[in-house]
Amino acid sequence: MILLQVIVGGLLIGAVYALFSSGLTLIWGMMNVINFAHGEFVMLGMYAAFWAFTLAGLGPAAFAPLAAVLLFILGVFVYLALIRHVMRGPMLAQILSTFGLLLLLRYSAFWAFTANFVTLPDDLVGASINLGGILVSAPKLLAGVVAILLTAGMHLLLTRTAIGSQILAVAEDRQAAMLMGIKPDHMQALAWGLSGASAGIAGALIATFFPISPTVGESLTIIAFVTVTLGGFGSVPGAMIAGLLIGLIESLSAFYFGPIFQDVVVYGLFVVILWVRPHGLLGKA
Amino acid sequence: MPRKPIIGWLALAAVLIGFPLVFTGAYYEQLAAFVILSAISASAWNLVGGYAGQVSVGHAVFFGAGAYMPLLFYKLWEASPLLGFPAGIAVSVVIAVVIGVPTFRLSGHYFSMATIAVAELIRILVSDWDFLGGAIGLMGPATSRGWWDLVYRSSVPYYYIFLAVLAVLLYITHRMERSRLGYYLRAIRAGERAARSLGVPVSRYKLYALMLSAGFTSLAGSLYAVKFGFVDPGSTLGILVSVQMVVMAALGGAGRLLGPLLGAIILVPLQTTTNTFFGGAGTGLAFILYGGIIMLLSRFEPGGLLELWERYQARREARMAKERALVGAGEDHAA
Amino acid sequence: MKTWLVSAAILAGLGLGSAAFAAEDVKIGVIMPLSGNSASAGKADLAAIEIAAQIVNEGHPELKGLPIGTTPGLPKLGGAKLKLIEADHQGNPTEGQNQTLRLITQEHVVAMEGSYHSNVTFTATAVAERYGIPFIVGESVAANITSRGFKWVFRTTPIAGDFGNAYMEFLGDLKKAGHPAATLAIVHENTDYGTSVGESVRDAAKAHGLDVVADIPYNANGADVSPQVLQLKEKNPDAIVFVSYTADAILYMKTMKSLGYKPKLVIADDAGFSDPAFIKAVADISQGLVNRSAWDIGPKDSTTWRINEMYKAKTGQTLDDTSARGMQAMFVLADAINRAGSTKPEAIQKALQETDLKPDQLIMGYKGVKFDQTGQNILASTYLIQLFGSDYIAVWPAKSAQHALEYPFKGWN
Repeated sequence: MILLQVIVGGLLIGAVYALFSSGLTLIWGMMNVINFAHGEFVMLGMYAAFWAFTLAGLGPAAFAPLAAVLLFILGVFVYLALIRHVMRGPMLAQILSTFGLLLLLRYSAFWAFTANFVTLPDDLVGASINLGGILVSAPKLLAGVVAILLTAGMHLLLTRTAIGSQILAVAEDRQAAMLMGIKPDHMQALAWGLSGASAGIAGALIATFFPISPTVGESLTIIAFVTVTLGGFGSVPGAMIAGLLIGLIESLSAFYFGPIFQDVVVYGLFVVILWVRPHGLLGKA
Repeated sequence: MPRKPIIGWLALAAVLIGFPLVFTGAYYEQLAAFVILSAISASAWNLVGGYAGQVSVGHAVFFGAGAYMPLLFYKLWEASPLLGFPAGIAVSVVIAVVIGVPTFRLSGHYFSMATIAVAELIRILVSDWDFLGGAIGLMGPATSRGWWDLVYRSSVPYYYIFLAVLAVLLYITHRMERSRLGYYLRAIRAGERAARSLGVPVSRYKLYALMLSAGFTSLAGSLYAVKFGFVDPGSTLGILVSVQMVVMAALGGAGRLLGPLLGAIILVPLQTTTNTFFGGAGTGLAFILYGGIIMLLSRFEPGGLLELWERYQARREARMAKERALVGAGEDHAA
Repeated sequence: MKTWLVSAAILAGLGLGSAAFAAEDVKIGVIMPLSGNSASAGKADLAAIEIAAQIVNEGHPELKGLPIGTTPGLPKLGGAKLKLIEADHQGNPTEGQNQTLRLITQEHVVAMEGSYHSNVTFTATAVAERYGIPFIVGESVAANITSRGFKWVFRTTPIAGDFGNAYMEFLGDLKKAGHPAATLAIVHENTDYGTSVGESVRDAAKAHGLDVVADIPYNANGADVSPQVLQLKEKNPDAIVFVSYTADAILYMKTMKSLGYKPKLVIADDAGFSDPAFIKAVADISQGLVNRSAWDIGPKDSTTWRINEMYKAKTGQTLDDTSARGMQAMFVLADAINRAGSTKPEAIQKALQETDLKPDQLIMGYKGVKFDQTGQNILASTYLIQLFGSDYIAVWPAKSAQHALEYPFKGWN
């Protein structure tokens, strides 16, 4: 029974990992740009939810879309003002620019919202749900369900719509896409917007059960890197599977070996996977 | 081509050697020592990150190995920390091989991600390993028992020790630039596939660069440990230690001999000064400025500041050459 | 090349030239983590220290009992004012050392206080020792800070080793009251703070014959604590000691509720559980939580109550134990400087060595302040407090209790 509870807990947190990693994999796979500031996007999504609740009393159904819109705008802006100019430069400049962005966003939040932790009320989404003796935290369940919907939605958008195939065309071959009349700039700005929006939704939902502070992005970003690499750069379903897998492994190893070993197991596995299957679970070679 | 390189080198050496004589005061001396120490680790990173173009974001592993070993030797046997220096280098080179052999088959971000993961893995293991002092860390000798402890009250002796190590490292790098290793690494950076088709043993040479880089980064860590007399996982193995090396090298100019030194000369005083001015207020302004500056630099000067300087030099020389040509000296100077 | 060096030097040189004015002020350097993960705690601590300086400078006769601060300024120095020079060490031992060096050699402070993180205090005190400047430690608890034979380091707070013993005494009293606890679980975060306190509890439990059924170190930045809570649920110990920072403390309470686990006794080791953000977030589901604190607000119009009001007016939060310990250290330092009648470091050091404050002269619940050879306060001690509504009230030891202990842990409704 308790084992089942551990597994459910792992899958729930894994879905959360998948949720905040989906946006990162999109731009990483598509543009080969690592966004070190992705965790800060999620952090801003959390604050958007907090302020929407505090100032206007909005609930998750309203503040999650609001966070998505705000972060979409930020994503597009970051692309236009910064990424567009560094993405064809040396890889080092890309790393440097998003690292600078990370500090800028983190400490702007620090300046604006102070370092104090804030939280949303515990009952915003609801208490735990009892499924035949297994207790499922409602906020995490909501985050998990949205993660699956969002992943599916993004996957469908990329594979089944005209816009999606244009985005993928730019990712495959920029020159060819231009010859076909696709404007790479627009598609890439759109991809950054989508990445931001999914980070915004992720942040807003994580905020319903996790304390919010300007430095919260720090621990999230590294997990997102591992998730994305494991899933395969650019593979949205890959990130979903990798997220669930990491959550599960973390949970089981924390329960059986102790929580300090959960990261050891995850990073160790990550290194091994890079070795034997360098392009991730669902990535293309 | 600079026409009189010797003069430039002598001037640089004179400024670096004379600096602590002009700017006295314990705080400036410590700051200056820290600039040179940072320049050593960033220059060591530059060997693989700059010349070979393999962006490691996990060099803290090597720095940490170098930092822990001297104090471990002291803790276990009350030995001179100096004896830990070669041990740290040996451990680092072994780790370099362990990371390098599997990941150098990959390119681009995979290597970066693998280095982050290995560094974090080791940081976590060390934090929970009592033998290495766990989360609390290790300390060195509080007072000097002899010259072999390298314990000095003042930062000035450290400054000159660091400067000597930096000089050796830069000399080796300079020689490497003109050696086969240097040519191969540049070929690899320009394009691995092309390099491979030209017969360059790509993986092997990337590994050589990483081993050399790891050894010197470890040395920087050992110097840090004797200077500060204390190591703990966060300050020697944390991801920020790695990022700091990347930022300094990239800011000055990665893959250029003096790029990391220039980056350290700008960045270390900038960080300390902004923290001195704005840190006490606790608004995070120091980091907003720091983040903003590196973001703007990578946006507008992605090749680093040395590239900007070289462009300016090239333009000036072109103009001078043109003027000379107009005057009719008739000399055959290329810009 | 040269131009860059020169401009770097100019940049560095900007740090100069701020001494000059207000020569009679007594300059004290304070280093705290004002950015990074612990900024929230560091800023709260700094605000408390600033209030101590403000009280000393303004003179508040209504704050009865304080050895200093009832008249404006330092009377034996002709009413000289304290001037705090504040710096951010960013949670980084290297920066802690840099800033301490700067405060001592550039700002010419006559004494130092800091620095929340034990590892930063460790390196910063080494600089003060080298330069012969008294360094008072208000809140860092790692044992190694005062075990190096330093002559210039003075620590007012109880240290990690004291806490384990306090918890065991408390459990002993609880047994006498008919609530025996035979099994114990220790859950601690794995930086130097959690590690040293966890160790102290483990050793004390062993010495008192308690069975430690679970000893769980964890990373405070983790996203999920469910596995730990499930482990506790499975082992079901009679009492749990948590050593946690803020975010993880909040997560533990939320997760215990969502997994329906209500242990009989929850003892929290200060830190995150004393953060006002903790109370705001999860007080309603943490009723009856026992916490460590040497700070008690006390009845209305008492000195401690008034100080808390001043703190609330400044920060909008109630004063927490960690910050109050920082404040206490500043009062001890100010008193010593006053008794020294001089700003010479040697005189201050001597006055600190001679410090002998009684419990009614303190804002904290220590048995007094008196330093031993190593600089550790031998009279440091702690209360245990319990959460009722959104207030912590002292419940142990019996002579300091303002409220009867409620057993078992009530948690939520």
